[in-house]
Amino acid sequence: MRHGTISRIPITLRVAIAMGGLMIVLGMVASQQVLRSLSRLHDDRLREIARLHVEGLSVALGPLVLHKDVWEVYDTLDRARGASDGQRMLFTVVADDRNRVLAATDPLRAPVDSDATPFSKDASDLSALTASGDEPQVRVRAPLRVAERTVGQIVTEIDVGDLVAERRRVSFFLLLANAGATALLAFAGYILVARMLKPVTLLAQHMDNAGGAPSRIPEAEIPKSDTELARLLRTFNTMTGAIDARAEAEKRLAERERFVSLGRLSSSLAHEINNPLGGLLNSVDTIRTYANRPEVVQKSVALLERGLVHLKDVSRAILDENRLDRAGVPLRRTDFDDLKLLFEPEAARKRQHLDWQVRADGADLSSLPAAPVRQIVLNLLLNASAAAPEGGWIGLSVAPRDGGIELSITDDGRGLSAQDLDRLMSSAPVAPGGGVGLRLVHDLVTGLNGRIRHDRDGGRTSVIVFLPSAEAV
Amino acid sequence: MNRRELIGGVAATAAVSLPTVLRSQQLFRLALTPVFLDNDAAVIERLRDALSTGMGRDVDLVQRRTYQEITGALLDGSVDAAWLCGYPFLQHRGQLSLLGVPVWRGQPRYQSYLITSAGDQATGLEDLRGGMHAFSDPDSNSGFLVTASDLARMGETPDSFFARTIFTWGHRNVVRAVAGGLVRSGSVDGYVWQALAAVEPGLVARTRIVSQSEWLGFPPFAARSDRMADPAVTTLQRALLEMDRMPAGRKALDLLFLDRIAEPDVRLFDGIAARMAELGQAG
Repeated sequence: MRHGTISRIPITLRVAIAMGGLMIVLGMVASQQVLRSLSRLHDDRLREIARLHVEGLSVALGPLVLHKDVWEVYDTLDRARGASDGQRMLFTVVADDRNRVLAATDPLRAPVDSDATPFSKDASDLSALTASGDEPQVRVRAPLRVAERTVGQIVTEIDVGDLVAERRRVSFFLLLANAGATALLAFAGYILVARMLKPVTLLAQHMDNAGGAPSRIPEAEIPKSDTELARLLRTFNTMTGAIDARAEAEKRLAERERFVSLGRLSSSLAHEINNPLGGLLNSVDTIRTYANRPEVVQKSVALLERGLVHLKDVSRAILDENRLDRAGVPLRRTDFDDLKLLFEPEAARKRQHLDWQVRADGADLSSLPAAPVRQIVLNLLLNASAAAPEGGWIGLSVAPRDGGIELSITDDGRGLSAQDLDRLMSSAPVAPGGGVGLRLVHDLVTGLNGRIRHDRDGGRTSVIVFLPSAEAV
Repeated sequence: MNRRELIGGVAATAAVSLPTVLRSQQLFRLALTPVFLDNDAAVIERLRDALSTGMGRDVDLVQRRTYQEITGALLDGSVDAAWLCGYPFLQHRGQLSLLGVPVWRGQPRYQSYLITSAGDQATGLEDLRGGMHAFSDPDSNSGFLVTASDLARMGETPDSFFARTIFTWGHRNVVRAVAGGLVRSGSVDGYVWQALAAVEPGLVARTRIVSQSEWLGFPPFAARSDRMADPAVTTLQRALLEMDRMPAGRKALDLLFLDRIAEPDVRLFDGIAARMAELGQAG
């Protein structure tokens, strides 16, 4: 599209082109004026030449024409031509009052007694004489008068070749000079405009610096003189700061999400810890009461040990989930055991059936880092549990696939809302209201060069995450 | 030496450029018809020098536009003598006497030429019917009488034969009119045409001779018969006849392409008289 083509040209160039165009129009108008003056000057000169020539001849020829003296008219013309040899008079014909030729400088062209109309009809009067045409000669006619009586007329062809050539030459040099001046002005205009619009160029450069993100303009580059544009650039910097701050806030929010997911488990985990505690305290009472009965004590101690080991596992899993220095620790099957330990009480609380299938072994998992994978799985499980109804069904499947692993989390809930899908599948900014758990999953998967697929089939919603092994990337 | 003689002597000494003395005498006036290269000031100057030297007195050369004016001036005494055409001499045969006749190319005769432009195909007078024709002067033998009498033999007059005739008042002008294309043909003095061929070859080359007349008496020098005994006239005659033997005269004759001036013989003009008779004019 034409509009598109024009708008793709940088604004500095566009303004310079517009300026050059204006200069050209100005130059053309100026040239036109000068040429017109020149033309008028030439016409005046030509008219003066023709007037002197014709008037001089008229005085001499008048009485001769009155007497129709062919020889004397010819003799006068012939001598006038001889006197002006190589000058302007090319051809002159003198006719009587009936417009019959009396004599001409070239009698072969205008024989005596022939009709002079062919010569006089397209000749111009002295006052209307102009050299503006490209013809190298003009034809002028004037009446011959004797004692206020018109006795005939004279038609003369005058050589204006030099005037035409001069005007052509002057026009050429004028246009050349104007073109040069216009080019110079357009160039100066371009430099000037480019200087004036430098802040705009600067702004455009920083607007999409290095892959789409606006970058801050260094204070040193902001012009001090131009308050208007300087204000614009500072406003831009402020806006850039706001965008940075927002990105930072989003990042921090995602960090927090780890604690949020644990928080969501805290009540279930509290029950998980509290429930065995009653049994453990009973065992303690039993031991105290039946201290002298070794078989009862033995049984109670075994019960106590099992309970404490479970508590130890749960607290270790919580601590592992919360540890910030897990970077570089490889993923193991036990990580999925920990996740099951953490998540199972939540599912149990909601009487949801959990289908837990980990078919990958250590070799398949070890190339992946433990922390992000645990976070991804936990977030998706929490999301599935929230989506599945009371007494519903939740499935986890971990299987090796194409040099990586595939995590599939399924539930029989209502399915993901469009908003949730946006958070999970795209990098578009997060709409306000709603958590950032799914967005965190998206960012973590992207960070591991993985892919997320969403599937809804037979009342079940699946989120399938493929994570390539680090070696395969 | 009285005072008057002293002043005269000083005046004479001051006027060194003039060829001779005797300034107290009346100016001798010689009229010239345009029979020769009348546009050449150098020729006129030389001729005047030659005659002034020959006559031992100042000579004024008088030029007029037409033959008629010259003849009139001679007859009424305004001029002392004239270089005339044979035709006006014969027209006033009773009042005029011959002083001398120029010799051109060995004889005192010349021809009349009928000329056209160089590219014209005409082979004779008959071919020129219906065109424009230029005569020199109605009183010129070669420039009018010859062609007019030829036409009379054919039962025509110039006005009936030609579409239009013009008089150019000079033989050189006839050549110009023909060369420039103003007219188709012209009647011209053969001597002038030949002299022009030498001094203005470019002009003459644009014309061509269609026919030449018989040899006729060369334009003579003449004076009124009643003044033939006048010492001034006899001095002129002697100066004319001796021109070719004087250095100044020789120069003038060379410029005029003439050999000398010969003793007059009126029978030379019988041919012209015969043509006049054919036009119905008495000699």
